[in-house]
Amino acid sequence: MSKAKLLAIGLGAMALSACGSDPDQAPVEQIVIRAPGETAPASAGPEQSGEEVDLVAAGQAAFAVCTGCHVAQAGEPSMAGPNLHGVVGRAAGALDDYAYSDALLASGLTWTQDELDAFLANPTAKVAGTTMVAGAVSDPESRAAIIAYLGSLSE
Amino acid sequence: MSDTAEKKERSTAMKWTRRGFIGAGVLAGGALVIGVGMRAGNPVGKLAPIVAGGDGEQLVNSWVKIGTDNIVTAIVPHCEMGQGAHSVLAQMLADELDADWDKVEVMQAPADGNYVVSDTARMFIAPFTMNAADWIEPTYEGVFKQLALMADAMITGGSSSIRSTGQYQMRIAGAAARKMLVGAAADEWGVPAGEITTRDSTLFHEASGKSAPYAQFAAAAADQPMDHSPTLKEQSQYRLMGKSKARTDIPSKVDGTAEFGIDAVPEGLDLSYAAVVRPPVPGTTVTSMDAEQAKAMPGVLQILNMGNFVAVVGDSYWEAQQALGSVAIEWSASESSIKSTADQFNQFAAALDEAGESGGSEAAGKGDFADAFANAPTTIEAEYKVPYLAHAPMEPLNCTALVKDGKCDIWTSTQVPLMARSAVAESIGVGKDDVTVHHPYLGGAFGRRLGSEYVSMAARIAKATGYPIKMIWSREEDTQKAMYRPADLNRLRAGLDSDGKLVAYDSVFTQRHDPQEACIPAMYNIPNTSVRVAESELHLPFQAWRSVDHSQQGFFIESFIDEAAHEAGQDPLDYRLAMLANAPRHMAVLKKAAEISGWNGESAEGTAKGVAIVESFGTIVAEVVEVDMSSGKPKMTNVWAVCDAGYVMNPDGFRNQIEGGIVFGLTAAMHGELDIVDGAVKQSNFHDYKMLRMNECPNIEVALINSGPIPIGGAGEPGLPPAAPALTNAIFAATGRRLRELPIAKNFT
Amino acid sequence: MAQFKLNGEPVAADVDPAMPILWVVRDKIGLKGTKFGCGIAMCGACTVHLDGKPIRSCSTPIADAEGREVTTIEGVAGPDGELSAVQDAWISEQVPQCGYCQSGQIMAATALLRDNPQPSDTDIDAAMSGNICRCGTYTRIRQAIKVAAGIEQPRAERLPEEEA
Repeated sequence: MSKAKLLAIGLGAMALSACGSDPDQAPVEQIVIRAPGETAPASAGPEQSGEEVDLVAAGQAAFAVCTGCHVAQAGEPSMAGPNLHGVVGRAAGALDDYAYSDALLASGLTWTQDELDAFLANPTAKVAGTTMVAGAVSDPESRAAIIAYLGSLSE
Repeated sequence: MSDTAEKKERSTAMKWTRRGFIGAGVLAGGALVIGVGMRAGNPVGKLAPIVAGGDGEQLVNSWVKIGTDNIVTAIVPHCEMGQGAHSVLAQMLADELDADWDKVEVMQAPADGNYVVSDTARMFIAPFTMNAADWIEPTYEGVFKQLALMADAMITGGSSSIRSTGQYQMRIAGAAARKMLVGAAADEWGVPAGEITTRDSTLFHEASGKSAPYAQFAAAAADQPMDHSPTLKEQSQYRLMGKSKARTDIPSKVDGTAEFGIDAVPEGLDLSYAAVVRPPVPGTTVTSMDAEQAKAMPGVLQILNMGNFVAVVGDSYWEAQQALGSVAIEWSASESSIKSTADQFNQFAAALDEAGESGGSEAAGKGDFADAFANAPTTIEAEYKVPYLAHAPMEPLNCTALVKDGKCDIWTSTQVPLMARSAVAESIGVGKDDVTVHHPYLGGAFGRRLGSEYVSMAARIAKATGYPIKMIWSREEDTQKAMYRPADLNRLRAGLDSDGKLVAYDSVFTQRHDPQEACIPAMYNIPNTSVRVAESELHLPFQAWRSVDHSQQGFFIESFIDEAAHEAGQDPLDYRLAMLANAPRHMAVLKKAAEISGWNGESAEGTAKGVAIVESFGTIVAEVVEVDMSSGKPKMTNVWAVCDAGYVMNPDGFRNQIEGGIVFGLTAAMHGELDIVDGAVKQSNFHDYKMLRMNECPNIEVALINSGPIPIGGAGEPGLPPAAPALTNAIFAATGRRLRELPIAKNFT
Repeated sequence: MAQFKLNGEPVAADVDPAMPILWVVRDKIGLKGTKFGCGIAMCGACTVHLDGKPIRSCSTPIADAEGREVTTIEGVAGPDGELSAVQDAWISEQVPQCGYCQSGQIMAATALLRDNPQPSDTDIDAAMSGNICRCGTYTRIRQAIKVAAGIEQPRAERLPEEEA
């Protein structure tokens, strides 16, 4: 290969390697809620009244930690854990789109509020062999709230 | 630029930027050419302000500084991503410098044009000049520096740091610095330089009884002329090279103090956090975004539709990620005809069908395959298949960015800091010199961090917000919207003569990226060989993945050779040895593998061994895998590996890399698979994109052969390619079942 | 306001009680040794101790730490900075490559050896299989646990003479 050709190839490579990034793009849409450090505005959410609503709201907040693995919206595909929409009252291992552990399939459980409470308190103790090895909720009030929230979704 | 055009261009660029590795192992073979590793002049004055900020620190040349406490700091241009390069590069420099290893520190060279790895670049761009460069001197150095600068060639990849930068820059820098220190002392003491000796960072003049620590002459040394061709040590003189010195970065990695890109908290900056979501199908964009619910969520500062991704900026990453999950996004329709894994493989199959028995572009040809195959008394044919794979480094992609007053500061884990700088400059419309890239340790990379699209994303967000942000990709983003080791389909045919000898070999596949020679069974003496590429477009974007083409080609070639051996009724290891008559180093490696693995001994009930040998990145590696099939499922019990890299600079570090490469290869072989569903990657996280874990990890024994001489081979990638075929060959030996499609685990559910 | 002990020191964090311990420790308190790997308790990079037991901090809300003791990698060494036997073994065996998962590995191994000072290979596999190392340092982790337990000699004693 000639020297000139070598250089041409080298330079061609240079030109190409600089390419491939996105062109200068400002946001198509930019929604600014507040600046960092500013206090968040008072909640504009619906006025909350009644213990049940509170419990469901608290449960929705507490469920946040579960969302790494679970969705609870109807029709969404299961993630690392099964979709929990309608789980209260459902038989364990009921979803077709989720590969449950053998242990859970064999458990014969129905997810009543009490069973869910016991499972959430310590999943591996309730169903030895479950793949849910994390995400235990140690606080009884949080468990009650999460179960109330999940129950509200299937109503 | 259309998606397809962009993909093609990117793919071409990658080909060129990695092409150099064609020759590193194959063509190299002469003595070390030195004197080209450093650039003319001594840029100490210019560099000192950016690399020698410490009290009384003196920069001797670009790569060496010495403190008043006589601490020698090696300034290394490669990143540290787990391969141990920082430490070993310092070891090489310190050896030539006669430095006291206990007083050597390592500093990451800044992302600055002065620290381009011109010798790595030379390997990438024009490997054939590594040995016979005389004809291009004296412009040679200038040419490659310019090429490297234009290419932003501050690259860590290709198992190249030690064998290029180490051999051609760090050692020369160390030897040159030593000579400068000696020169300075000779002037001051009024004695001939030849009478001065050096040891443990100290200068000695025996006759006069004078001695001085390097620190005393560091400043004067920087004014000494710099020898660009200093005499390097012979192997017998090495004190640090070849020794298993403990890595300098490890203490910080056991007490939580090591700083990775994701940990960067730039002083004085109050960071906000960005969570991002990109289109599920490559090449599509945001058509609409409904953020009503997210707006009301706690901790949310901004919600941005960036055109090709959506970002939520918040007080914490977790709050931003939570809010992002509630943003409803519509994506544009994809123009790709590939909606499923089956579509991709059907397209590959169509390309192979079209290439037929002799079509496609020829990657290698020897003899007359068609004739030999037609006349062979025994023929075999097989089709092999591998899936797309993600790199999945443990540190998710992330980048911290501040854009202020037309300048941009970036903190990120990257294999290519200068390319990242250019990508940022382009994406936010500033000059390269207005961008400063800070790059701490990488929490793994394996090729993924050769791309810079995530860096540009963070810069664009920071430009829009006007305040500093740390963007973190979720594991799901990293798995589903990444760049990938390509899937491929490979059809192989072989003809055996009446003695079972392989006389005809033909291979046709669709993916050829780098190294170009990966698809060629060059070490074997096969008289009629045909290797063909029937190019077929990838639906998911390509990115070099640890060992690149070798990761699939090693599996294809070494499985099929095993098939030929069994067809011939011969021991697969002996069968290979018989074909390696012209490759004595390979033969020695394979024999040693037979020896340490007890290849010819009895196997326990239900267990069997398989073997494979691959040369990649200048290093020959044979592996024997032992598998226990007695439960009906493969349980890997032992792996023995033998490597010949010519010469190993740090044996324990080298073994660690080979062990890692083996686990990476076995992970892919057992579990690695990404499926395409509705045009998007189906797997999302470690529950369905599975990794080998402790309970599945076999014992691993690595033996090294230093057959010398330099040029030496790499360590990061060569352990990987033989792992998968050695495992499937073992499963065949145990069960008679030939697995031609990865991953293995899905055959044993 | 979550109040708990972090590496022996009382701390308070004014955050959403559902926020995982990981993000409170990393981004609100600023201890960066605990790592984010997967967010779904599958990789173990975020392992910390809650009252001495290893947990996945990415999937445990800060509310669960209320009034309890959280220990991170920064709290494993002695008060004078002296490394633990596990950390020493991690250095002697030259375990880490990229090092990103190793905080979690060390937390898991520390808990194992506290409960079981002489673990068998099976015990080690069982205790450590929740922690992914993408660099593939498993064989060295196994070795380091044995060295920390005093079952095997450190690497320096085993290196061939020509390499030392």
